[in-house]
Amino acid sequence: MGEKLIGARMTRTEDVRLLTGRAQFVDDVRPPGVLEAAVLRSTAPHARIVRIDTAAAAAHPGVFAVVTGADVRAVVRAPQPVIWRPDPDARIPPAYPLAVDRVLYEGQAVAAVAATDRATAEDALELIKVEYEPLPAVTTLDQALAPDAPRLHRELPDNVAGRMVVAKGDVATAFAEADVVLRQSFRFARQMGAPLETRGVVATWDPFTSRLDLWLSTQAPNLARELLGEVLGLSVDMIRVRTPDVGGGFGNKFDFYGEEVVAAILSRVSGRPVKLVEDRRESFVATVQSREQHIDVELAARLDGTITGLRGTLHGVLGATLSTIGMSPCWTAAASMTGPYDIPAYEMNVVGVLTNKPPYGSYRGFGLPKANFVHEHLVEMLARHLGLDAHAVRRKNFIPPSAFPYVSPVFVFDSGRYEECLDMCLRAVQRAGWPSFVSAARARGEAVGIGYSFHNEVTGFAPSRIANQSGLQNAGFDEEVVRIDSTGHVTVRTGLSAMGQGLHTALAQVAAHCLGVPLEHVTVVSGDTEACPYTGYGTAASRAAAVGGAAVLNAATRLRAKVLRVAGHLLEVSPDDLVIDDGVVSVVGVPEAAVTLARVGDAAYRRINGLLPEDELPTLEEREVYDPSNVATAYGCTAVLASVDVETGVVTLSGYLIAHDCGTVINPSIVDGQLHGGAAQAIGGALFEQIVHDGSGHALTRSFSDYLMPMATEVPPIGVEHMVTPADHVPGGFKGAGEAGVVGGGAAIAHAVADALSDFGVTVTSLPITPPSLLAAIRKGAGR
Amino acid sequence: MKLTVTCTVNGREVRADCEPRRTLADFLRHDLGLTGVHVGCEQGACGSCTVLLDGATARSCCLLAVQVDGATVTTVEGLADNGVLGPLQEAFRSHHALQCGFCTPGMLATATELLRDNPRPTEAQIRTALSGHLCRCTGYQHIVDAVKAAADPGEPEAGEEQHRS
Amino acid sequence: MKAAPFAYVRAAGVGEAVAALSEGALVLAGGQSLVPLLNMRLVRPHTVMDVNRLDLAHLHRSGADLVLGALTRHRQVETSPLVRRDVPLLAAAMSHVGYVAVRNRGTTGGSIAHADPAAELPAVCVALDASFTVQGARGRREIPAGEFFLGPHRTALAADELLVETRVPVPPVGSGHGVAELSRRANDLAVVAVVACVAVSEGTVTYARIAVAGAAPTPIRATVAESVLLGRTPSADVIASAADAVADATDPSDDLRAPAAYRREMAVVLTRRALRQAVTS
Repeated sequence: MGEKLIGARMTRTEDVRLLTGRAQFVDDVRPPGVLEAAVLRSTAPHARIVRIDTAAAAAHPGVFAVVTGADVRAVVRAPQPVIWRPDPDARIPPAYPLAVDRVLYEGQAVAAVAATDRATAEDALELIKVEYEPLPAVTTLDQALAPDAPRLHRELPDNVAGRMVVAKGDVATAFAEADVVLRQSFRFARQMGAPLETRGVVATWDPFTSRLDLWLSTQAPNLARELLGEVLGLSVDMIRVRTPDVGGGFGNKFDFYGEEVVAAILSRVSGRPVKLVEDRRESFVATVQSREQHIDVELAARLDGTITGLRGTLHGVLGATLSTIGMSPCWTAAASMTGPYDIPAYEMNVVGVLTNKPPYGSYRGFGLPKANFVHEHLVEMLARHLGLDAHAVRRKNFIPPSAFPYVSPVFVFDSGRYEECLDMCLRAVQRAGWPSFVSAARARGEAVGIGYSFHNEVTGFAPSRIANQSGLQNAGFDEEVVRIDSTGHVTVRTGLSAMGQGLHTALAQVAAHCLGVPLEHVTVVSGDTEACPYTGYGTAASRAAAVGGAAVLNAATRLRAKVLRVAGHLLEVSPDDLVIDDGVVSVVGVPEAAVTLARVGDAAYRRINGLLPEDELPTLEEREVYDPSNVATAYGCTAVLASVDVETGVVTLSGYLIAHDCGTVINPSIVDGQLHGGAAQAIGGALFEQIVHDGSGHALTRSFSDYLMPMATEVPPIGVEHMVTPADHVPGGFKGAGEAGVVGGGAAIAHAVADALSDFGVTVTSLPITPPSLLAAIRKGAGR
Repeated sequence: MKLTVTCTVNGREVRADCEPRRTLADFLRHDLGLTGVHVGCEQGACGSCTVLLDGATARSCCLLAVQVDGATVTTVEGLADNGVLGPLQEAFRSHHALQCGFCTPGMLATATELLRDNPRPTEAQIRTALSGHLCRCTGYQHIVDAVKAAADPGEPEAGEEQHRS
Repeated sequence: MKAAPFAYVRAAGVGEAVAALSEGALVLAGGQSLVPLLNMRLVRPHTVMDVNRLDLAHLHRSGADLVLGALTRHRQVETSPLVRRDVPLLAAAMSHVGYVAVRNRGTTGGSIAHADPAAELPAVCVALDASFTVQGARGRREIPAGEFFLGPHRTALAADELLVETRVPVPPVGSGHGVAELSRRANDLAVVAVVACVAVSEGTVTYARIAVAGAAPTPIRATVAESVLLGRTPSADVIASAADAVADATDPSDDLRAPAAYRREMAVVLTRRALRQAVTS
């Protein structure tokens, strides 16, 4: 059975603890003497801090430490790091964990208190007096770019943080020679990952040894460790980052937050461990936000539907300062906007604009959902304009299988069978009976439609040198360690962070598959920078299975060879004549000539004399550093069945299908789960979720009553079909699937709505689609 | 000023002191160490902290601990017995109905109540019953499948796709 | 997000509760709205008075009225055979309140006293001319639902009065009901909801009650729409004209979920739907 573990629908090794309340999330970590902290947040969208008086808070019973921006500024050696700089000339305004002199958005951290418990800390926050001198705020792109706009940072000439151009081919000629030029503008609202577990940290910074010990709910423990070192002036060996169970990340826990520094400093000041867990209300101002972009494009095409050029401007509506990953989601949207299509000429100007809102950071999809929305809208628009079938336009412009490796404007795509994937999706739609459902519903006068979107996605991020070339000040390799112990059981140690996607199960399946052991003989250890190896980037960017899985595969494959050598010695046969199955090494064709892995382990660790070959070192362990030679390219086709209540503008989804190719699948259940979860986030992004600021900069979305994530009643049944085109350059052929579900959903939903409302000529160019706005569009269409 | 709360939790009588402002969720987590109760919003919007209070689902962030004096509470820690998963837990496991697991304890509480009150729910009834619970990982499909399977063991096995037809 | 400190008292009797109220205590009933408000420090009482152990969970028929003790839980009302038989509109409206865990805890008295303008139960009370029995230091009084709701979370209940009972006049036997609700997600608080109860005798409407939630600072009774229906055949046209008449009764405001104009329009659409349900049920 060991041989078939890659590709098997195994139940997860993580589940029993999680199902019985035995998991340990960061808020469950309680070191002796731990204090609980709370953060005072700005009530002003933009203001000068005239004075802060913390005396009463410090004197409050139960309070151990109070710090302000000035206190933190005096300790840190550097502002909050921005590790991804696609624009090398970007103006990066310095940002500190607590506001210094000025607040730049409502909710910005201003001061922090550590006390015996969270309630006492919150009591003390109320005793801190802050005097603000209000300054005018800008929250919209137009406000921020107005000639007389208030400037967020006096050291910058305007509110533009950076400009980048992503280009390929001769755009001027493409447009000059085009038969058709189409123009469209797109608007995407501010949204966020909102994992159910909020961010949290428990920091112990020993004032005597200067060692800093953190429990951190993070996707990137090694990155957090490096950045803490930079900010606090510590060598990394002085910092230990442990990651407990993580209650979802979705990118939001990739970024490095000021609270991590604040908790450390509160610990240093109080001499006690300090826990700082964001509550839900503050998460809406304290966790990074994403997606907000305005994209204005032009498409050049020939009358036969061939797309010859794409150009435009992408404005990223950033927050007041840059997050850890800077403007990279905006750049990534531009880098990916040609999607699965062979568009010879492309030029996208990217402008990052600062506004008085929380920083723009990582969220699953990282620019791709917008890029996908744009190219899929344009394909449908072109098809309508030319009277062609949209799928025919897709097929005409798909990068054909023969064209791989394909040089896109930024990345080199490794492989893809896009037309087959589209056909797979269309067949699934037929099988599900959607077309007849639609005709029957329309005959009853209902507005029902089917929408499609085709996406491709750079996964398995990334070769370190390519990552560095894209401005990332961090690597993309993974290091994994596979060890067989003296009882023949296997431990995999990984630097990746497990935040719910089933990483332990997936890596265990790869190791067990390669080593020929039962899955239950493999333990995966993650979550401790002192015990686990290094990962360049962390668990993000659809990379854990592809990069980590490949590293485990290589390490396990080498280890298998050593196992066979030792077993060959024990059985007095050539290793070439041996097979491993279910934890037993046996001679091919002579199953009774066998030795268990336990005996091999014993020979390698304990009773070495005479059992371990003379030329072998004891232990059974291999370490693999895997830096991929290229990114991988997963892809898929999403179909959505939607109905619209034309009297209310309410959209109801009744079916959702994804045909998907992420290369070799390690565990189809896990991949299905990733696609389902991504789909639900796409549904939220398309129909419900929106972080709203009013014109003066106040944050109006402050709870789950305002930020409407879909529930089970809003998500329709989801079906997934897999096809497999292994990534030839990745050991194992894995491509990665973490973000796939979210990329194509928005466009597919928008197109289903447009299809349902084709009588009204409604098309969707902004997300989310809300009932009042859709009803207005229906009215407008009805009045044509 | 602290008050004493005495109640039966997972079959055992417990007694602890807490401030009146302590929510039941914080009481269970911090005073009784039942960290399987997860707090996702503290305003009754996410469902993660749902427990069974005298047999009926209740969001423990919307109750004061002092209110449950004399009551019976069941948390996720009380759903398995002697190292053996309960049928719903087993169905969640075999259907990959959880990812990060943060929402899972609340989902299990609600599914327990649903199947007790309505042993053969339709898919729509399952979705409605679960609709007070946010899950940001799974897209709900496998959770719905798991509840369906726990309701009727004769249903098709795990992994079968749910196409609309 | 932890509540500010407060003292806690558990009332053993209505008299004791009323005494605590006159000293400024805040009533904790189901807690489904209050505890989140406490957690967010949006209310900061010096004393929270828990009324959950008061003997007010009675639910029975008394003459022409259905009587609901203030501590009847939504779930109890929703599943009560008596309610389903006598005031099915009430049971139906209850099933729209949040989801089961909310309804297990939420009380009728709490929902009415909380006076959320988008809540279903206050709208049903307004539609059916319910009255509320309140107990104060100076004794009991009855407040008709039509005079009770003064604005968002504002009622005619004095600070030292406790709502103890709701009396709902039972609609005529054979009347039909409808609940049409528009919410962003299935179990969210309504953007707009319309409840209707209609009796038709020999083809003409003999009894019509319509109330709208979420389209004004309080639930509103659509009396003009009712009068359009009375004495006429409830045809599609008549229903449409009745629904159109609702628009003028609304007084919506803009919020994150919907602009005022949308709410006004939805009140009309949903009235049509609620009436259609009512005349066909």
